[in-house]
Order: sequence, then C-alpha cells, then structure tokens
Amino acid sequence: MKRIRALVPMLALVLAVALALPAGGQDKPRSGGVVTWFDYGDPGRLDIHAESPLSVQQATAGIYSGLLQYDPEDPVKIAPDLAERWTASPDGRTYTFHLRRGVKWHDGQPFTAADVKATFDRVLNPGFKSPKCGARLKPMVASVEALDPNTVQFRLKAAAPFLPSIASAWCRIAAKHVLDKHGDLQKPEAQIGTGPFKFKRYERGNLIEWEKNKDYFVPGLPYVDGVKQFILVGGPTQLAAAKAGRIMLWDTWPPMRKTQAEELARARGDAVDIYQHPVNTIWIVYLHTQKPPFDKPEMRRAVNLAIDRHELVAKTLEGAGVPCAILDPKLVGDYALPLDEVKKLPGCRQPKDQDVEEAKKLVAKHYPNGVDLEVAVRSVGNYLDRAQLLLTQLRRIGIRGTLKSYESAAGFAVFGKGDFTMIATQDRAMDTTDPGDVFALVYTTEAGSNWGKFSDPKVDDLTDRALKEPDRAKRAKLYHELQRHLLQADLSGIPVAWVEGYYFRDKKLMNHRPGWTAYDNNTFMKVWLKE
Amino acid sequence: MGPGLARLLASQPLGAAGAAIVFLLVATAVLAPWLAPHGAKEAAFAPYQPPTREFLFGTDHLGRDILSRVIWGARLSLYVGLVSVMFGITLGGIWGVVTAYFGGAADTASQRVVDVVMALPPIILALTLMAALGQSIDNVILALTILLTPTASRTLRSQALSIRESPFVEAARAVGCPHWRVIALHVLPNTLATYIVLVTVNIAYAIVVEASLSFLGLGAPPDEPSWGAMLTAGTQAIEQAPWMFLFPGLAISLTVFGLNLLGDAIRDVTDPRLRGGLG
Repeated sequence: MKRIRALVPMLALVLAVALALPAGGQDKPRSGGVVTWFDYGDPGRLDIHAESPLSVQQATAGIYSGLLQYDPEDPVKIAPDLAERWTASPDGRTYTFHLRRGVKWHDGQPFTAADVKATFDRVLNPGFKSPKCGARLKPMVASVEALDPNTVQFRLKAAAPFLPSIASAWCRIAAKHVLDKHGDLQKPEAQIGTGPFKFKRYERGNLIEWEKNKDYFVPGLPYVDGVKQFILVGGPTQLAAAKAGRIMLWDTWPPMRKTQAEELARARGDAVDIYQHPVNTIWIVYLHTQKPPFDKPEMRRAVNLAIDRHELVAKTLEGAGVPCAILDPKLVGDYALPLDEVKKLPGCRQPKDQDVEEAKKLVAKHYPNGVDLEVAVRSVGNYLDRAQLLLTQLRRIGIRGTLKSYESAAGFAVFGKGDFTMIATQDRAMDTTDPGDVFALVYTTEAGSNWGKFSDPKVDDLTDRALKEPDRAKRAKLYHELQRHLLQADLSGIPVAWVEGYYFRDKKLMNHRPGWTAYDNNTFMKVWLKE
Repeated sequence: MGPGLARLLASQPLGAAGAAIVFLLVATAVLAPWLAPHGAKEAAFAPYQPPTREFLFGTDHLGRDILSRVIWGARLSLYVGLVSVMFGITLGGIWGVVTAYFGGAADTASQRVVDVVMALPPIILALTLMAALGQSIDNVILALTILLTPTASRTLRSQALSIRESPFVEAARAVGCPHWRVIALHVLPNTLATYIVLVTVNIAYAIVVEASLSFLGLGAPPDEPSWGAMLTAGTQAIEQAPWMFLFPGLAISLTVFGLNLLGDAIRDVTDPRLRGGLG
C-alpha cells in the first residue's frame, strides 16, 4: 500500500504534464500506421440514427460526416464538416447550410442535399424512434428543405441552441441511396459514409476495423491507414490490453478508476500519458412508473431517499464523480444548481439516517413485509459492482432485489421495450455540452432514454421554455427551477452522479484531444502516429 | 470410535483427511449464520482493507467482509453441488438402469442421445444453457443436472447390463415379479455403491463448474456470495488487493481436494477389485 501511496504524487505529475501538453501537435504529421483502441461492448446493431449506445457510435464514428462537427483540434468549437459554411436568419429560426461540392460516398456516388434531407426526414419522422439525434431535434425543427443540390435549409419552431445538436456525433449524414436500398443502417454493408474511414470488417464480439478513405474530401486526411477497435468487455480485460500495449488509447467510457490508472502508470508510465477528464455522463437508476411496485410514487420516493450517492461514488468510482447533481457545474457552469443546495436536499443529505427511516416507512406503508423484485443491469463496465452496492442499500428499507444481467446490446433492447421493473444503473452520456441535453435525453415525456415512462407536464414545459429561451440568465433561472422540481419529484430516472475518471493515450499517438462528450472526437481524422 | 471405523481410517488416511475437510465444509455451510461475522451482502466497511484482526480475510472492493462471504459461499457451493448431483445422478441413474433392463431400440436410441450430450465440451454446454436460461441459482442447478445426467446414465447402465443377467434377477422374473419390482428391488439396490461414488466425485465437479460459470459471469446472480464470482472480482484488483482472490480460491481448492480424496476412498472401499478381494 505504501508503494501505491508513493505513486500518487507521481501520477498527479503525469496528469499535469499530460494536460499541459495535449497531443504533441507541434510535430510534423506523418502518414501511415494503424490506431488501436477499444469498444466496451459489442454494438450488435449499427444504425447511428436508431440506436443510442456509445458502442454503436464508436463503431461507426469515422465512417460518417455531419453537416457540422466539434473541431478535432479544439473540441469546444463548432466547425464545418459537410457544410462548408452556414447562415442564420436574424430571428434565429432559419438556418441555411451550404454544402461542400465534389464529395463522394464511399461507394463512389455523389453526395448532395437530397442525402441531407433524407437523413433529417428520417430522424424527424414522428414514427421513427431516434433516441439521440431525433430526440434532440424533434422539439426544435419544423422542416428541412433542399433548396438546390448544394444548399439545405432548416426552419425551427422557435429560436433554440440548434447548432450544437446539428454538430452532435449522432446527427451524421447517411446516403439516400443506401437508405433506399437497405431500409436502415443496421448492417455492416449499409455503412457507406463520406467520413475519413471506410468500414472494413466487423467480427462480432471481437473486432471492428476501418480503413483509410483515400477519397476523403479533406485533402491529406486522414493520416493513419486504419483503425482497429477491439471489443473488450470488462475492466480487467481492458486494463490488461492497456498494460500490454495492445491499445493505444483509452478515451472512452468506461473511464479507468484511480487504482487502475495507478496500475497502468506502474506498468507503462514511460510510454503513456494519463489524464483525468469528465465523461459528460450521468449515472441514472431507472424505475418503471407503470409497473408495480414503482407505479406508486411513494415507492419511487423511497428509493430516491434510500440511495446513498456518496457511498456509491466513493466505492464504485473511487470518488471520481459528482454525487446527486442533475447538472454538473464543472461541465455547464452556473446552469447547474449550486452543489451546496443540492447536498442539502432529501436523498442527498448526509448522514442518511433520516432519509432511510422515512424511506422504510414509505415501503412499509405499501408492503408491510417488504417487496421482492428483479433488477435489470447490463454487464458492462463496473455496472455489476454498482448494482450490488445499490441492492445492499435498498435492502435496508425492505426492497429485496435480485439482479438479472444482460449483455450490452440485449440490455438496451430490453430497456427500450420497457421490459423491466428497475434498472440498477445506467450511464447516459450527453450528446452535446448544452445544459438542456440531460432533460431532453432522460426526463421529458418524449426523451430518448425515458425508459421508465415518466411524464410530468411541468418538466416538459420548463424543458421546452429553457431550450427556447435566448437570454442566458433567464435560461439559467429556468434550469434551476427545473432541477429543484426534478430533485424533489418522484422520478423514474433517479440521478446518482456525474461520472468522471482517468484515461490514457500512447505517447506515439499524436494530435488527439479528448472530446467534451464521450461521442466527440472519435473519428481520428487528424490523429497521426509517431515513428 | 468403533474398532471398524478406526481400522477403516487407518487403511484410508487420505480418505480420512478428505472426510475431515468435507465435514468442515458441511459444518461451515450449516452454521454460516452463526459463524459469519457479517452478512454476505453487507457492504458497510471501508473497501480494500487487508487482512486484520477485525477482518481476517480483509474486505473487498465494495467494503464487504471476505471471510463472511467465503463462509456464506460454502453454503451456496454445497447447496448447488448437492442438489444438482442428487438430481443429475439420480435421474441419470434411473434412466440408465431402466433402459439397460429393457434393452432394445429404446436403449440404443437413448444411448445415442447420451453420446450427443457427452460429445459436447461440458463447460461450453453449461455456458450455452446458462445463456439460454438466464442467471439464477436454480438455473445453475438445472444446467448442472443436464450435464451430469448422461454421465450417470452411461455409468450405471453398464452396471445394470450385467446385473440384468444375474441369476437372482432371472429368478425374480421367473416367479412372475413385475418389471418395476425387479428394477426397484433387485437391480437398483445393486448399483448403490457406484451411485454413491458418482455422487461424491461429482459434487466436487459440480462445485467447480458452478464456480467457473460464476467466474465467467454466467453462474449465480452477481450479488450472491459465489466463490467463482468472488474470484472474478479479485482479478480486478490483483495488485491492489490479492486477498480478494486468494481466499475464495483457497476455499475452492480445499473443497475440491477434500471431496476428491473422500470420493477416491469410497471408491476404494466399495470396489472389490481395488480392495484386493476379486481383482
């Protein structure tokens, strides 16, 4: 243990150095080589518009382009991608995108405005379930029109933070002819994009491989010949691959815990840069509001009161997380309710005795002998550990859960169908850095990840008003009201914490900068490898 | 201790050691509520505490007492081992004996089924069954029963084939005993020694398979104190907390060692060829 403690200052120094020298961009890029990294689970289905797991986005990130993107070299900045420029009307309700000319799909077909229209008609179709891009855009966009083969116009229902959503890594442009031919984008053969890489190979449960698109519309890019994503399920396997040098990069979910980072530093400290970074991901416990026992609001309140977020973060994230918050001040500044206020609210306040006693009474009121239930959990990351600890906490109030674990893609299918009573733990990563994301993703009636069928008109109204409020101070005030309301409502999606963690990149991997969401900067278009 | 038992223990010292280990396992399983200092799922302590006077086996990553989980794990292992073996060997035994007794096409067909099941690698078959059935202790028992049944069927069938031709069986048939009576009173009792050996040896096998399934994440539900699942958790902190995998690993090894020693001794005692009587 002394050895480990002694390594902490060294690790801190490594982190500081890594963050101070992000990506070694001062060297001259060279071409060639293959980047190796990993996907935490087997994506199974590959339709970027119809799915929501990070594993799907990672599997296809380099294949597609968007109209806009977060700049790979400055991840907070929105930059052109397929649209070379854009204009907004003075009232902020009409956006016109001027497309690059001469862009070709990976199969040689020309890219036109018809592809953009087909893409957004698809994700905005009320009958099409699009949990990421569609869920973000449907409340905002009234119509999409192709004005000519190189110009597309979006009309919004009201002025709203539209560009961050269009730049989201989930709003990628698909080819009309591919959609016409395949009907969807689920299969490997439908992965025809305009991105820097072509989809080369998908071995289920093992490997996803991309190869360089030599006709990429940005001359000279990408630098590397290909990218290999090993499908590595489980922390020990991922860490073993990192220690053995099998992967060059760990910039994705799940982050390393501190002890894992220390272990890696001991094994390969001279060859890798290790850094701490927020994941822009919220950890949620889901309760199904239409199934017993959680169809009773007081049972949902009991769970909210009983969960000890501080213990969960301390033990399963080794302290790397922000307990209780619905918005993390580190990520969205003053849009977030001050943590001092959040910490005093029932469910979050410490010590837990008062909340646990109240929760026991609520459970006993409905189930004098306690209640037994099946608790769903995907067996990815350290979800099983989180779930076990959560069940221990709930047992104190008479809720006796038995875990039912699912493989990654199977779990998402079950959650999407609402075929559960309780989901012990599920991280939801934000699509953009906009504070409205978490509400549109989890809490509104139409939210893409509102798996527990929660519906509260006040939440829908406040979310909509905040989204369309142009004045920053007023918008922050609306979000504060929304957070106060949610933190005291009998929620379906109980916020546990914002997740943080540790990452690494191999020192020979150059010009890579971590994105501000788990989804951004996964295209590797400007990354290059030192000799 | 009677002189017969003393002689037996003296003639089978390794078997005696095995019996002592198995007795310890059974006592631990039965007395778990009194022996375990804490609940198996109680996570009220600081995580990763090394072995101390307060926590003899240390604590795990969630702050659970490993000694308590190993003790409760004995109950789980023994329960899964005993129940699956009792079902598997009994069903398989009856299957083998009955089909051997009647012979003919039904016997041939049933043995081809046994061939098919036995041709599959056991752990792959168990994994497939668990993936299809879902994770629960009952399903582990069911998967193990399906694994064990063909083995018992094949072994006890071969013995029943020779018993079927014995004079006392022919005599029973000659005086008009119905088939069910011949099987129940004359054939089955004569396979008992083999049955006992099969049970003893396969409990260890069942415990190892349960631990393997749990180690691979397809056995007992994750929060149950399965030794195999504890090993998996231990692999995540090999450098940081080696006690997390050391103690459940020792428990599995010791239990299997004890059961195997006992099984070997019972086989030696019950097999006349190994006793030197007929061999």
